[in-house]
Amino acid sequence: MHAIGQALLPALLVVTLVLQAALARYRLLIVMSGAAASCLAASMLGLGHAAQILADVPWDVLVILVGLGLISEVFVESRVFGVLAMRACRWSGADPRKIALLFTVGMYSHGGLVNNLTALLLILPMLLGLYKLVGVTQRYVSWSIGLLLVACNLGGAATPIGDFPAVLLLGGGKMTFTAYLVRALPATLVGLFILVTLVVFIVRPERGMSKSPVSAAITVDTMSALYRNVRIDFRMLLPAAAALAAMIVAWMTLPADKGWTPELICWIGAAAALAIRPKLGERLLRRKVDMEATLFLLGLFVMVVAVRRSGIFASVAKGLVALPIPPIAQLVVFVIAAGGLTAIFSAGPSMAALLEVADVLAQKHPPNTVYVGLALGVCAGSSLFTTAATSGPLAQALTERADLRDAEGNQLRFGFVQFLPVGVMSFVVIETIAVGYCLITAR
Amino acid sequence: MTDLPPGLDQALSAVAGELGMASSSWVFVRAVARCSGDEAVAKLAEEVGPEFVVLEAIARAWLAGEHEPKTDTAKVIEAIGKATRVVVVGLEVAWLDRLLDKLPASVKIALVTHSGFPVDWERVLDNYAGRVERVDLDTFQHWAGGKSALLTFAYGRAEDARAAVLPLWLRACGADVRAQFRSLVAWNVLPSPLDLYPRRLVEVDADETFTHFV
Repeated sequence: MHAIGQALLPALLVVTLVLQAALARYRLLIVMSGAAASCLAASMLGLGHAAQILADVPWDVLVILVGLGLISEVFVESRVFGVLAMRACRWSGADPRKIALLFTVGMYSHGGLVNNLTALLLILPMLLGLYKLVGVTQRYVSWSIGLLLVACNLGGAATPIGDFPAVLLLGGGKMTFTAYLVRALPATLVGLFILVTLVVFIVRPERGMSKSPVSAAITVDTMSALYRNVRIDFRMLLPAAAALAAMIVAWMTLPADKGWTPELICWIGAAAALAIRPKLGERLLRRKVDMEATLFLLGLFVMVVAVRRSGIFASVAKGLVALPIPPIAQLVVFVIAAGGLTAIFSAGPSMAALLEVADVLAQKHPPNTVYVGLALGVCAGSSLFTTAATSGPLAQALTERADLRDAEGNQLRFGFVQFLPVGVMSFVVIETIAVGYCLITAR
Repeated sequence: MTDLPPGLDQALSAVAGELGMASSSWVFVRAVARCSGDEAVAKLAEEVGPEFVVLEAIARAWLAGEHEPKTDTAKVIEAIGKATRVVVVGLEVAWLDRLLDKLPASVKIALVTHSGFPVDWERVLDNYAGRVERVDLDTFQHWAGGKSALLTFAYGRAEDARAAVLPLWLRACGADVRAQFRSLVAWNVLPSPLDLYPRRLVEVDADETFTHFV
């Protein structure tokens, strides 16, 4: 039975992940069906009933993701992103290179604090509108939007609340808020610096674009007209920012072993941020919870828990530590494999599955090294293909919808092929940093 | 010879819905004149004009010495009269902003959020800080009544009283709707009639279509 479970349950997980990637329009249906099939199989094989599997689901992670998503929505309602984007346009003087630089740094900063998909959904249409005004080329679109997506991934890995993999480490009690932040933030900043230098100053996406003062003047004047009376709603922004700041302070200072667990702090903080404007809070709760992401992760967790109960993760971990190579090389192999698996299966499934293996490696190496190395490896994998993170298909869809065209009237695209050069460069840079981080800190 | 950057027609179509064809044309003409002078404005009219006839008319006005849009609100406020609710069909922000500055706060304003161009309607309404409500073609008749006015923007008026308006006006103002509003007001935003075929617009008889044409 055990052997059947070790073959059947991982196969169910892999088939589900492949199917949901291939048939994205039925993504949720496929994942929820896969989760139900996993529960049934686990139950029939004597590996645990649905109630036991559901009890093992990391609900704390879901609470943190929903809570942070709602705070992101309050920021969106305050119009802060739109006003900042307009100011970025003015500061840059509509210079394409400065636009790419400012938006990349902005998305990295934002990605570390709140839901980067929400920001992308708001910022990208605005940026694409800006591109229409500036007049861009395929080369510029591919590299600048590609860099933006990688900056989102790096920002998400920079803090323990930035994206799902890091939240999983925080919520599962693998690392404290501060321990993760002081290690991952500098590493991702190095990655951002190297990539920005390579893309903005060496690749130079704007090469071949006409540098017309007329174009710059029209862009700046038009953006100013579009936002002529739009003001940041500070009555909305400040309480939400204060709640988020208080949450961060609480995560860094309050002891989790005394009951101040990360999800409880997030729950209280999000509730406080919403309660300050009750009407808005109720509306956001009813309409803006990202049910798609929440249900996707729930289905995924159920499948991973079922696979874990089969013992396959323990077997893989045992196989890894039994490899006839030095322990540090095992860690390097693990981090590189994390990148490769994430590139194929995306961050959520890879992180949830690999965390089980990381726990075993953490007995032989400093745990913080293993977990941060894993998070960076997953970040590298997320940045290889557009399909490896949700932001990729979203950017592709938004770009197609914008119907951007070059000076000759050719439609400009952003998809798998256009992103690949940025993805390969980013994967190599971030994976190198992940391996380097492990080599330096494991000693 | 003055060179203009390529893709200005794409740039204009990206914002013509959100600012209005005339308002965005003024932004473009001013920027071109500031950077490259009147010769470039003439070239802009020649290159982009056939696609955007409103821009062509405004560029022509600029070259004739008219360097600001005429947004005097006195006549349109007079036309709106004692209406307490105004439904705006179509958008020209340079004119609507000015009108909202002058209208008493007690006059409620709705905007029919429909356009042939891409528009971020949330951003449009954010500029009016709650002063303007959003309605669509299905719901704007809820605003009808003896103290309600329909307002649209016209793009020039010829000597035979033909005036160019947005196709949206024809969709909104059918025979059933006409009787439901106190007044049907057109605010002409162009100083002279269109020279070119009114692409993206439709021609109506101003005398028959509107109760007031200002």
